[in-house]
Amino acid sequence: MPMGRRVYPVSSNSQQPDSNRVLTQLLVFLYCKCLWRGLKFVIRKVTGRCELQRICYNNKPGARRTLKIESSLKCSKHELLQSAVSVHPDSVEKTIDDIMSLKKINLDTNPQLGISLQACLLQIAGYRNLVVEVEKLRREPYDCENPAHEEMLMKLWKELRPDSPLSGRISKQWCEIGFQGNDPKTDFRGMGLLGLHNLLYFAEHDKATALQVLHDSLQPKHSKMSKAEWDKKKFDKAIGYSFAIVGINITDLAYSLLVSGALKTHLYNVAPEMPSLVNFQQTFCYLMQEFHRFWIEEDPCDIMEFNRVRTKFYKRVLKQLKNPDMALCPHFTASDLHLVNL
Amino acid sequence: MGLLSILRKLKSTPDQEVRILLLGLDNGGKTTLLKQLASEDITHITPTQGFNIKSVQSQGFKLNVWDIGGQRKIRPYWRNYFENTDVLIYVIDSADRKRFEETGQELAELLDEEKLSGVPVLVFANKQDLLTAAPASEIAEGLNLHTIRDRVWQIQSCSALTGEGVQDGMNWVCKSVNAKRK
Repeated sequence: MPMGRRVYPVSSNSQQPDSNRVLTQLLVFLYCKCLWRGLKFVIRKVTGRCELQRICYNNKPGARRTLKIESSLKCSKHELLQSAVSVHPDSVEKTIDDIMSLKKINLDTNPQLGISLQACLLQIAGYRNLVVEVEKLRREPYDCENPAHEEMLMKLWKELRPDSPLSGRISKQWCEIGFQGNDPKTDFRGMGLLGLHNLLYFAEHDKATALQVLHDSLQPKHSKMSKAEWDKKKFDKAIGYSFAIVGINITDLAYSLLVSGALKTHLYNVAPEMPSLVNFQQTFCYLMQEFHRFWIEEDPCDIMEFNRVRTKFYKRVLKQLKNPDMALCPHFTASDLHLVNL
Repeated sequence: MGLLSILRKLKSTPDQEVRILLLGLDNGGKTTLLKQLASEDITHITPTQGFNIKSVQSQGFKLNVWDIGGQRKIRPYWRNYFENTDVLIYVIDSADRKRFEETGQELAELLDEEKLSGVPVLVFANKQDLLTAAPASEIAEGLNLHTIRDRVWQIQSCSALTGEGVQDGMNWVCKSVNAKRK
């Protein structure tokens, strides 16, 4: 009994400062919120512009602007503005009109604002659609009964190995382009058709790079080792890495960047209107090329270091994407976009 | 905390580390099994380049599970991970009958390895969720498991996808580690 009595006051004492702290936090929060609203009100009166206008005027088009517009809309107290980030691309125009009348902005004196806002909303809606589209492809497993899938796979072979015909659908030759065994179908796994789409896009549209990466991946890593020692170890010649399954792995990397929202920076910078699957596939090409460069730079002893190198690479890309001016495709820089957007 | 749980904690020395090696051919389901053990998402798995490692708490043990890629090109590296292995888990795709011979050969080679001598071996007859999966008894016979005399062994049918049978296998692993360390 004495134990119980002692325990009771202790626990009620510890609740006291707890509820106090919660109350203080609540008051600070409310205070900050009032302060913020007040500040916004004052700025609005002084500049004669609402927050959306200020963002558009002060930030160049691309990720800098769209990311700010997106968070401003999400944090808005108006339901119309909140729901603007999840509006269907077809009703973007109507939403802009509604926002204009809600914010009492005269379109004649601000002709640019509507266009800018529309571009932002289209980018936001496009990104959301892209996530859905990519997820759908990822969920579709590779099916060897499906002629379209088979055709894509054979096309991949032809692109990467134009000079040596495949001896059969099931063949050891698949290892030459970096699949694990004699039937690639089991290697797509959790990335499904998305992996195949990406690899094929890389081989078709960025052919020179793809062939170079494939060629390098087939070179023996241990140049120091003597030939006799090499043969004794019975290693396969290609110890660099396996092109195709690294491609499937980098697909996973690109996919996580997309789903986590980290790719917004890049896609808002490169796609002036709606980011599409092609933009995602171009990002994949860039990541393959960069990963390859990174791998050579890191100079790992062997393939067993793959996950260490991959994690390091992933962190590096994430860090790059924190910079709002970052675009992962060297061919489409944010400054080019400026021209397109205006 | 009750007296009983304190006693139980004292009895089983906590965090006894166990090194588990997860081997098998590519597409056998090693990484899915590993993620299933760690209660992680199993829908985004890609072929393993190199290896994955995870630590899982189970029955007072800290299981350090090493999942090494099964691609033919990577198999020569398996031996780098043999040292100090407490239990070998060998994963077989029960539906891939075409490769039963290949997987049998790899297992036989592993059992001949000096560094793995006497190490308990658990064979997971995986992918039992598939209709075409061979039953564990048939696989055991095909691999001549009953001729193993130099170690304890067990075959367990399971589905790494649904998780069925996985816990039973791991219970056996813990039991055999306990028996060995006494």
